[in-house]
Amino acid sequence: MSFQRRTFLKLLPATGFLAACSKSSSKIRLALNWKPDPEFGGFYAADFAKHGLDVELLPGGSGTPTVQMIGAGSAEFGIIQADELLLARARGNDVVALYAAFQNCPTAIMAHASRKLETIADLLKSGTLALESGLPFARMLKKKYGFDSVKIVPSPGGDLTTFLNDENFAQQCFLTAEPLQAKRKGVEVKVFPVSDIGYNPYTTVLAVSGELLRKNPELAKNMVTAVREGWRAYLDNPASANQKMHGLNPSMELASFAEIAEAQKPLLETSLLGKMTTERWSTLAAQLLELGDIPKAPPAAECFREL
Amino acid sequence: MRKVLGRVVPAAIPLVVFMVGMEWLVRVGWIKAFLVPPPSAVFNTLLRDWRELFTALAKTSAGALAGFALGTVGGIAIGVFLSSSRAIQRAFYPYAVFFQTVPIIAIAPLLVIWFGYGMRTVVASAFIVSIFPVIANTLSGLLSTDPALRDLFRLYGASNSATLWKLRFPAALPQILTGLRIAGGLAVIGAIVGEFIGGQGLGSVVDVARTQQRTDKVFAAVLLASALGLALFGFINLLSRVLLRRWHASEQD
Repeated sequence: MSFQRRTFLKLLPATGFLAACSKSSSKIRLALNWKPDPEFGGFYAADFAKHGLDVELLPGGSGTPTVQMIGAGSAEFGIIQADELLLARARGNDVVALYAAFQNCPTAIMAHASRKLETIADLLKSGTLALESGLPFARMLKKKYGFDSVKIVPSPGGDLTTFLNDENFAQQCFLTAEPLQAKRKGVEVKVFPVSDIGYNPYTTVLAVSGELLRKNPELAKNMVTAVREGWRAYLDNPASANQKMHGLNPSMELASFAEIAEAQKPLLETSLLGKMTTERWSTLAAQLLELGDIPKAPPAAECFREL
Repeated sequence: MRKVLGRVVPAAIPLVVFMVGMEWLVRVGWIKAFLVPPPSAVFNTLLRDWRELFTALAKTSAGALAGFALGTVGGIAIGVFLSSSRAIQRAFYPYAVFFQTVPIIAIAPLLVIWFGYGMRTVVASAFIVSIFPVIANTLSGLLSTDPALRDLFRLYGASNSATLWKLRFPAALPQILTGLRIAGGLAVIGAIVGEFIGGQGLGSVVDVARTQQRTDKVFAAVLLASALGLALFGFINLLSRVLLRRWHASEQD
């Protein structure tokens, strides 16, 4: 089920439209953009019922177009990345951010430590780099350093086979996921967070359509409260939520859940817990504008709402 | 001229109605443009990004055609081999069926590991999906030779190879060509799946446009891929006409 769904979504971004045509239930749907893993710990730990919400978490996969699903109404809420939201708004998809789980973007590039690379610029001087070249950070890298001496290939998702077998192969990764996996397989890695080049969008952001937010601000507020409490609970004690997610995603070992939950703590910056600032949104908008991804920068205040 | 018009007009009417309808639905806001782009946006993208799109189309064409050609040659050879005896058929046909049931999207990431990034993965992917219909149709065609004609060949003491090349193979051509028509469309799909993972051509354009939420560009690329499939289909029809015109009912006016 999950495989077919993922493939289908990847091949047909407009699926959300079809889903939108079918009758929606009274359940609140929260569309995730990946399989259940610690990145979503707070959402799985949240006690939605306590806030009068009946929430169904919809696991996704590589390329699940959550931002379009929110716009199409095939999910009331969704998990997105801040840059996706700006692109969506520029294309007339009115989506608003409510809660930013990851204050620091966990996207990174990992390379074999044996290559003794010091900076991202070094990494782009030789070998192969697997990344999603449509993503803004990839094009920012290209603009900044050029891709003339490195071979760019598509990202294999979370698959490490090529990486483990080829010393000169580097790949886009999640700071908290693939590097730990590679180490477990006996390969020492050097990790370069993309925030090193000044690109740091809020990640794992809870978002809603502008329409729903206007129509039912109370619902959105309850949702945010439940999510904030969920993250608080997950940070304090991730064990039970991990157990739950492991049940849904058994291909990931329980020990990995615990390990990642610990490793991602610095990225969550617990003191802020979901808060966003106008400065961060403006910076990001300016970066996307410079890359030519959006025709004009939307006012930062439109992009997120503090509830 | 009349004849051409008579053929083109009926086919063009649904297209025009569909395009105008889509454009209208998007303009009045029934369908949101970020979900399904209006046809005008797709054509604008085709015009604006034509260089990138057509370079990608050339790559995809090369990959699809190479996979299709290998699938054709391999499929016919295997079909002929399988038709040579019942025992061989029983031994190997199940493995040919295996190729049909391989979910290409699931094994595409493995193709990259086996063949590396780039063209070889794309060709392999197109080959895997296009070979089976050729095998199946070749085999079925070779096995359905008119028994009366076969008896005639036997009566005159024709050798096995003479029977194959002078009777059974030509008689199987209509079915083989049907297999090629199916394989042609599949080869384009196979190539694009290969490109998602192997990274080039229209598959890569679709992948990148998708992450940028450029549905207009996704559709522009899909349109070109369909055009490639149609061209391949047209080429096989032409081939079919040349080969069958003089003797087979299906290609006579």
